[in-house]
Amino acid sequence: MAEVHVIGQIMGATGFSESSLFCKWGVHTGAAWKLLSGVREGQTQVDTPQVGDMAYWSHPIDLHFATKGLQGWPRLHLQVWSQDSFGRCQLAGYGFCHVPSSPGTHRLDCPTWRPLGSWREQLARAFVGGGPQLLHGDAIYSGADRYRLHTAAGGLVHLELGLLLRHFDRYGVEC
Amino acid sequence: MNPKEEKVKIITEEFSENNEVAEVGRQKKTSKVARQKRKKRLPTAGPEEMVSENPHLGGQQEPEQEDSDTRPLSMMSRRGPRSLPPIPSASRTGFAEFSMRERMREKLQAARSKAESTLLQEIPTTRPRRLQSPSKKELETEFGTEPGEKVQRTKQEDDSQSYSRVKFRDSAQKIKSKPPVPPGFPSAEEAYNFFTFNYDPEPEESEEKSQTRNRDETNQEEEEGEEEEPTVHGEHKTVMQDEEELLSAKDAEDFLLGLDHAAEDFVAVRPADYESVHVRLQREKELLFVPSRLTVPTYKKLPENVQPRFLEDEGLYIGARPEVPRTCQNIVENRLLTQDPGRKWFGDDGRILALPNPTKGFPSRPPMLTQEQDIKAELETLYKKAIKYVHRSQHMIGSGDTPGNFQLDIDILGLIFTHHPCFSREHVLAAKLAQLYDQYLARHQRNKAKFLTDKLQALRIAVQTGLNPAKTHKSLDTTQKTINEYKSEIRQTRKLRDAEQEKDRTLLKTIIKVWKEMKSLREFQRFTNTPLKLVLRKEKVDQKADEEAYEAEIQAEISELLEEHMEEHEQKMEAYRAAYQQWKAWKKAQRAKKKKKKQAVEEHPDEEMEEPYPGEEPVKPVPPEPTDRALIEQQVRERAARSRRRPGEPTLVPELSLAGSVTPNEQCPRVEVLRREDVKKRSVYLKVIFNDKEVSRTDSRPLGADFRVHFGQIFNLQIFNWPESLTLQVYETVGHSGTTLLAEVFLPIPETTVVTGRAPIEEVEFSSNQHVTLDHEGVGSGVPFSFEADGSNQLILMTSGKVSNSVAWAIGENGIPLIPPLSQQNIGFRSALKRADAISSIGTSGLTDLKKLAKWAAESKLDPNDPNNAPLMQLISVATSGESYVPDFFRLEQLQQEFNFVSDEELNRSKRFRLLCLRSQEVPEFRNYKQIPAYDREIMEKVFQDYEKRLQDRNVIETKDHIDTHRAIVAKYLQQVRESVINRFLIAKHHFLLSDLIVEEEVPNISILGLSLFKLAEQKRPLRPRRKGRKKVTAQNLSDGDIKVLVNIIRAYDIPVRKPTTSKFQQPSRSSRTFSEKRAASPTTHSPTHSSDYPLGQVLVRPFVEVSFQRTICHTTTAEGPNPSWNEELELPFRAPNGDYSTTSLQSVKDDVFINIFDEVLYDVLEDDRERGSGIHTRIERHWLGSVKIPFSTIYFQAKIDGTFKIDIPPVLLGYSKERSMIMERGFDSVRSLSEGSYITLFITIEPQLVPGELVREKFDSQEDEKLLQATEKFQTECALKFPHRQCLTTVTDISGKTVFVTRYLKPLNPPQELLDACPNNPQATAELVARYVSLIPFLPDTVSFAGICDLWSTSDQFLDLLAGDEEEHAVLLCNYFLFLGKKAWLMMGNAIPEGPTAYVLTREQSHYLIWNPCSGHFYGQFDTFCPLKSVGCLIGPDNIWFNTQRYDSPLRINFDVTKPKLWKSFFSRSLPYPGLSSIQPEELIYQRTDKAAAAELQDRIEKILKEKIMDWRPRHLTRWNRYCTSALRHFLPVLERSRGEDVEDDHRAELLKQLGDYRFSGFPLHMPYSELKPLIEAVYSTGVHNIDVPNVEFALAVYIHPYPKNVLSVWIYVASLIRNR
Repeated sequence: MAEVHVIGQIMGATGFSESSLFCKWGVHTGAAWKLLSGVREGQTQVDTPQVGDMAYWSHPIDLHFATKGLQGWPRLHLQVWSQDSFGRCQLAGYGFCHVPSSPGTHRLDCPTWRPLGSWREQLARAFVGGGPQLLHGDAIYSGADRYRLHTAAGGLVHLELGLLLRHFDRYGVEC
Repeated sequence: MNPKEEKVKIITEEFSENNEVAEVGRQKKTSKVARQKRKKRLPTAGPEEMVSENPHLGGQQEPEQEDSDTRPLSMMSRRGPRSLPPIPSASRTGFAEFSMRERMREKLQAARSKAESTLLQEIPTTRPRRLQSPSKKELETEFGTEPGEKVQRTKQEDDSQSYSRVKFRDSAQKIKSKPPVPPGFPSAEEAYNFFTFNYDPEPEESEEKSQTRNRDETNQEEEEGEEEEPTVHGEHKTVMQDEEELLSAKDAEDFLLGLDHAAEDFVAVRPADYESVHVRLQREKELLFVPSRLTVPTYKKLPENVQPRFLEDEGLYIGARPEVPRTCQNIVENRLLTQDPGRKWFGDDGRILALPNPTKGFPSRPPMLTQEQDIKAELETLYKKAIKYVHRSQHMIGSGDTPGNFQLDIDILGLIFTHHPCFSREHVLAAKLAQLYDQYLARHQRNKAKFLTDKLQALRIAVQTGLNPAKTHKSLDTTQKTINEYKSEIRQTRKLRDAEQEKDRTLLKTIIKVWKEMKSLREFQRFTNTPLKLVLRKEKVDQKADEEAYEAEIQAEISELLEEHMEEHEQKMEAYRAAYQQWKAWKKAQRAKKKKKKQAVEEHPDEEMEEPYPGEEPVKPVPPEPTDRALIEQQVRERAARSRRRPGEPTLVPELSLAGSVTPNEQCPRVEVLRREDVKKRSVYLKVIFNDKEVSRTDSRPLGADFRVHFGQIFNLQIFNWPESLTLQVYETVGHSGTTLLAEVFLPIPETTVVTGRAPIEEVEFSSNQHVTLDHEGVGSGVPFSFEADGSNQLILMTSGKVSNSVAWAIGENGIPLIPPLSQQNIGFRSALKRADAISSIGTSGLTDLKKLAKWAAESKLDPNDPNNAPLMQLISVATSGESYVPDFFRLEQLQQEFNFVSDEELNRSKRFRLLCLRSQEVPEFRNYKQIPAYDREIMEKVFQDYEKRLQDRNVIETKDHIDTHRAIVAKYLQQVRESVINRFLIAKHHFLLSDLIVEEEVPNISILGLSLFKLAEQKRPLRPRRKGRKKVTAQNLSDGDIKVLVNIIRAYDIPVRKPTTSKFQQPSRSSRTFSEKRAASPTTHSPTHSSDYPLGQVLVRPFVEVSFQRTICHTTTAEGPNPSWNEELELPFRAPNGDYSTTSLQSVKDDVFINIFDEVLYDVLEDDRERGSGIHTRIERHWLGSVKIPFSTIYFQAKIDGTFKIDIPPVLLGYSKERSMIMERGFDSVRSLSEGSYITLFITIEPQLVPGELVREKFDSQEDEKLLQATEKFQTECALKFPHRQCLTTVTDISGKTVFVTRYLKPLNPPQELLDACPNNPQATAELVARYVSLIPFLPDTVSFAGICDLWSTSDQFLDLLAGDEEEHAVLLCNYFLFLGKKAWLMMGNAIPEGPTAYVLTREQSHYLIWNPCSGHFYGQFDTFCPLKSVGCLIGPDNIWFNTQRYDSPLRINFDVTKPKLWKSFFSRSLPYPGLSSIQPEELIYQRTDKAAAAELQDRIEKILKEKIMDWRPRHLTRWNRYCTSALRHFLPVLERSRGEDVEDDHRAELLKQLGDYRFSGFPLHMPYSELKPLIEAVYSTGVHNIDVPNVEFALAVYIHPYPKNVLSVWIYVASLIRNR
C-alpha cells in the first residue's frame, strides 16, 4: 500500500563519441509494483549539442507506483541512440540504474555500455554504421550472466530524480 | 658413500687379477667347488649383466677393465702403504644395488684416483646393511634370466681372451663376495663347507659375524683365502667354458645339482616358487568369477515366454540412457544373471534398467571466453544496420524488433493432367490405367492384406499359448479376459483382412479390364497414342502347398467362426433359459393370482381392482437355433473364393511400362493429327497468388504429348505477414490467342515445422468445370462422350490434373526458419528454440494462464511421458480436468509473498489506487476526474457505482430502455463495436505529428511583406468594419460556464397561421381559403382588404422562438405575423460531461439544440362581459408550431452554422393552416412558392471558438491493390491542391477498420418487395417510398458513436442489421436502391446545412436531376433554393469517382454531366482503367417481415409510457385524458401513415371538428423513425404540450407504429390538448 512517486527528468548525456543523441527509456518493476499513473517508457527527442558536448534532453519522468513489497524496486533502463547525418539511428549505449530509494532529489549518472561484437562487426560499425544490439533488451537490467558479453563503454546519462515515498513507515520501512 | 665403495671394488678386482695371474697353474680344488661357486655367482651376476645389456655403458666399462689389466701393479705400488686387502664380499653385494649410471660416474671418479685413506676408514660402517637384500634375492629372482646372459657371455669369452679372463675373475670375485673368512684357520674343506652351507636360519648373524671378524682379521689370513680360491677357478676354467656353451640355465643347474651329492644333506636348493599361468588360472577359477564379455541372449534376461517389449516403439517416452560401452554392459548383465538369478535388474525390453543419463548436456564450468561460442539466448547480439527511424514502432524499448522479411519457398515441379480436353479416348483410358496402377502400387507397398494376415496369425498363436494353462502365470480370469480380447481382435482383423483382400483383387481385375479396353481401342482405331503398356507377370506357386495353406486357413476360420457361434449360441441359450424361467415364474404367478383373485373376489369384492402385471405379458421365449457347421463352411468358402486367390492360381503382378510406341503422325487419321497439332499449340503456365495477389508466375511451357508439364521452378516469396491464402492458378494458352484460367489450386500453408529441405513433395489435385468441345479427336471437357459405338455408357470428364509442388519456410543464415509470427502482436522470432521453451513461446504471463499453457503444450506436441515435462503436465492435467486441488498460482517469484507488506486483495481494495488507475486508463467515467483524495476514507463508495453497473450490464441485455428486443441487441452490439474500436484507436490517438507539437510560424516572404506594406498606405475606413478571425481556444484551460452557445435567430418565413376558431361550421374550399389567408398573411405589404375576416383584427399568428439546450431554455420576444423577424441573440451555457473539455469528450456530446417555434395566443378569460371595460384578464397560451433540431456535434465541428432551415412542422397542425402564396406577382415569392413548409434563418456558434478535434490520420491496413491505394492518394492530393475545401472521398474505413475503396459500396440492391409492389405503375412514387423507407432507419452519427475517431462505413446489410447509421449509410443504401430501380444514381459528397459534410444522392430523371436527402427522404430539384445541400465535392458511382473541378460548387450553379472531363475529374480514366472491383455489398438483401403483433405491443407500451411521462411533467396539475379524442386520433394515425402525412389535413380537420365540436383543440402528430424511447420522449417534451395549465384542460395521446420490413418502424405520436369551449 506504500506509494512511490518518481518525478524527475532525464537531463542529458555526456561522453558519447556520437553527437546527435536520443534516449529510449523504460522503467521495469517487480511483480509487487503497480503503476497507478504515468508513462512507463518513452523516448526523448534527438539533441544535437551546439555548445559543449552534453546533449540535453530534459525529458520528464513522472510515475506513481503503488507497491506491496520492496522487491523489484523500480529500475530505469536506458538506451542511448545516435542519429547520423542520414537520419539513420544506431545504438550508442545501454544503461541501467535503480531509482533511488531515499526520498528527496537525486542526481544520478548512469554509465552506459554497448556490445562490441566481433572484429568484423566493429569494422562494419566504424564504416557503415549500425552495430550489434542485444536481441533481448531485458539483459540490460536483469543480472543474467553478462560475463559473456564484450562491451565497450559509452558515455554517461545524467538523471535528476525526485522521490516521494508514502506509507513506507507503516510497514516498518524507515526512510 | 657409493663412490668410495666403488673404489674398494676396483681395488679388489685388481688384487684378484694379480692372484689369478700368479697362480693360474695350481689345481687344488675340485670342480665341484668351482661349480658350487659358479652357482653362487649366478644370482649376483645381475648387475653386471645389466651393464652389459646397456651397450653404451658396457663399452665404457670394458676399456676400463682392460685398463685395469694393464695398470694393476702400478696401482698397487702406489697403494703400497695401505697393504690392506679390500673386503670383497661387502663391496660386491653393495655393488649389486647400484644403478649403472651411478657406477659409471663412480668409475670415472676412481679413474681420477681420489684420496684412498678416507675411503678405507669409512667402508666398515657402510657394509652391514648391504648384504641382506642380495642374499634374499638370490633365491627367488634373476634365476630365469641368467641363461641367456650366460650364452652371450661365453661368446664374448671366445672372442677375446682378455674378456674371458675378466669373466673368470668376476666369477672368482663372486665367490669371494660370499664367504667371509672364518675365525680360526679353516681348511679348504671347512672353508668350502662354510661357504656352501646354507645358513638359512641366521643368515644375518653369520654375515654379521663375518663382518665383525673382518675387522680383526689380519692381512695374511686374507691373503690365504684369496689365494685358495682362484686356484679352484683355474682348474675348471675350460670345463666351465664347455658347460656354459652347452647348457641352458636350468639344465646347468640340474646338472650341477646332480653332481653335488654331498651337498644335498645340507642344502636344499629349491627353485623359486612358480606357478604356471594355467594352474593359477585354474585355481583362480575356483575363487574368482569372471563374467563373460559376450552378449547375453535376450531370452535369458526375460521371464520365459515373454517377448521383449520395446516401450519406445509403443510410443512411450524413454529417457536417454547413459552411454556405457557394450562390453561393460555385457559384463554387468552376465554378472547379474549369475549372481542374482532374479531378473529384477532387467526391464521389459531385456536391457538393464537404467536411469536416464544424469549428466548435464553442457558443462557447468563456463567455457573459455570466446565470441564464437554459444552465447546465451538473452545475451545474443545481432548486428543491426543503421536504419532510418520508423515512426510506427516507437516507444518499444525492450520489446522485440520487427524481424526482417520472412520467406516462403514454393517449389513447383510440374503439372500432370489427369484429364484434358485434348485427351483422345485412349488417353482417357491411359489416365485411368495409370491412376489404377498408382493405386495398385500404393496398395502393394503398404501390403495391408499381408500385414493383417500376419497379425491374424500372431493373434491365433497368442490365443493358443494363452489357452495353455501350464505356461500362464497369471490368474485364470485375467487370462480368460485377455483371450477374449484376443478373440475379438481376431474377429476384427479377419474382417479387415477379408475386405483388403477383396479390394486388392477387384483392383487387379479393374486394371486388367481397363487394359483390355485400351487394347481393343488401339486395335479399333489402328493407332496408338500412348506408350503405356501393361505386362502381367505370372508368378508360379507351389500348387500343393498353396492348396494346403488355403485349406488350413479356411479350416482355421471355420473353427473360429464356429467357436464364436457356439459362444453366441451359449449366450443366447443362457438368455433364453433366464427368459424362460422368468416366463414360467410369471405363468405360475399368474395362475396363482387367478386363483387368488377368484377367492379375493369372493371375499373382498372391492379389492379386485389391483392388477398384478399392469405391463404387457411376457412372451414365451423361443430357444435359439444351434449353428450349422456346414452352413458356416459354405459361407467361409464363398467369401474366400470371392476375395482370395484360388489355390494354385498364379499370382498376377501387373507392370506398367512406357515401352510401347506411339504411332507416328503420318499413319494416323486426320482427326488424330489435328488433335496432336492442337496439343502442340497449347502451353501452360502457373500463377502464384499469395493473399489474393499475384506475386509470380512460371514460364510458359508447352504441353507435352503425354500431358505432362515440367516447370521445376522455385519461388521465394518474401513476406511480412502470416499468409492467408496461397493459390496457384493454372493458365492455358492456345496458340497465339488469349489465355484461359483452367483452375485454381489451393495450397495449404505449411506448418511452422516445415522448412526448406525437409518439405515433402506433394501433389495437389485440381479440376475445372469448363466445357470444351473440340472438333478433332480430343474428347473435350465437360461434354459427354462414350467409348461404345452406340453412344451408350456416356462419360463426362472435367479437366483435372495434379500439380506437384512443395511449400516450405526458408531458413535464414543463422538457421532460424523465416517464419512470421502467427499473430502480429507477437513480434519476434519463433525459432525452434523458442517452440520448445514454454516461457519464451508464450511469455511469462502465459504461465499464469493455465489454459494458454495447456494450449501451448498441445500445440508443441510435448511428450507427456517425458519426465522433463512431468511437473508441467501434471499442472496442466490438474488444471484442465478441474478436479482435485487446483493451485491458483504458478509463480516465478515464490518468495515474493513473504516479503509483501500487504496482500493483493488489500491492494486491490484500495479505492484511491483504483480511482487513480481508472483515471489513468481513461475510463469514461473517470476521465479527467480531478483531485483524488489522499486517503481512502475520503473516497465515497458510490464513486464506483456507475462504473461497476456498466461493467455488469455489459453482458446483460437491458430491455428496460429498449422496448424492442431486437433494438436492444443491436444497441448492445453497437456498444461492443464501439468499445473495440475505441480500444483500437486509443493508442493511435496518442500519435502526434510534428505539426501537433511544434508551431512553426511561416517566415514572411517578400510578397506578404509587400502586401502588408501596401496595406499601411491604405485609406482608413472606420465605418466599414473588417472581419477579424476569432481566437481559437484549446480545451485544457476551460471550465464550466466558459463556453456559451450563441443562437442568433433572425427571421422566419411562412409560419402557419391560426384558423379562426369561430369558423367551425365553415368549410371553405381550398382555393378560396388560401386566397383569403394569403391576403391576410401579409398585412404589412398588402392592403388588408380582407381583414374583415378576422373580427377582432387579431394578427394571424404571434410566433416566438424558444431555444432549449441541455435543459436550459431561452426564448425570444414575440413577433407578429407569419413572416416574423426577431433578430435576437440568445445565449445558452454549455456544460461538458464530467467537466471534461477535452476534444474527445466534446466530440461525444450527444445533446441537441432544439429550436421550437411557438405561437403565443392570448385568451380572454374574463367571465363577465360587464368587466370588460375595467380590467383585462387574459391567459397566454403557447402553441407549438414546429421545431428545428441541431446536434451539438454539428455545431462543434462546423464552428458556426449559418443558414435558413426548414422548420419541421407536423403534417397536421390542428387549429393552424399553412398559408399558400400561390398567386403572387413578385418573383421572390414565386420562387419561394415552389417550396413547401416554413423556414427559419439562424446563426449558431460557440463562444469562444473551440478547436474541433481532428480525425484520426491513422492509415489502416487494406486489402486493396497497392497500386489502387497509391492512385487514391495521388488523386486526393491533386484534388486537395486545386480545391482544398471540397470534399473528395476515395477510400473509407469499413466497420472492421480496413480501408476500402469507396465504389465497392455501390451496387444495385433490392429494396423490400413490399415497397415495390405498393405502386407498380408509378416509378416516381416507388422512389419516394423507397426514400421514405431509408429515412425511417434511425440516424446515428458516427462522430457520436465513435467519438472523435473516424468515419466508419458499414455495408448496407450491416446498416440494416444495426438499424442505425449516419448520412453515408443512408445515402449508400438509397443509392443502391435507386440503382436497382434502374435509375442513374450517384452518391454525392458535399456540404449541407445543418449537417456539414454529408452524403446525398443524386439521380438523373428524364431531363433533370434530383437531389435526395437520404436522412429525411425529401428530394429537391437541382434549382431548388431551399435545398439544404450547399456545395458538391464529388460524385461517386458504382464504377468511378468524379471530383468537381468547376468553378462553383453550389448545386444550383454546376453542371452534373459527369462525362465532361473539364467539369469533372474522374478517378478511373484511360490511363488507369477501372479494374473491375468487386463489391463488398451482399448479393442481395433479405428482408424479414416485421412481426405485427410485436409492433402493436410496442405501440401500447410507448403510449403508456408517454402518458405517464406527461403526467410526471405536470406534477402540480391534474392530467385528464380524453378517451374519446384519443380513440379518434388513434384511428386517424394510420391514415396519416398511408398518405405519408400529406393532403389529409382538411378531411382530418373536418372529421375532428365534427367529433369534438365543443372543444378548443390544439395538437399535432409527430412522426419519427423508431430507435429508442428516449428520443420520443424528448420530442414530446419539446413540444411543450404539457405546459398548458388551464384548469379544465384535457389531453389526448395516440401512438401508432407502422412496421416496415427488417424491423424498420415508423412511429406516429399524436398529442393534443383540448379545452372545452363554454
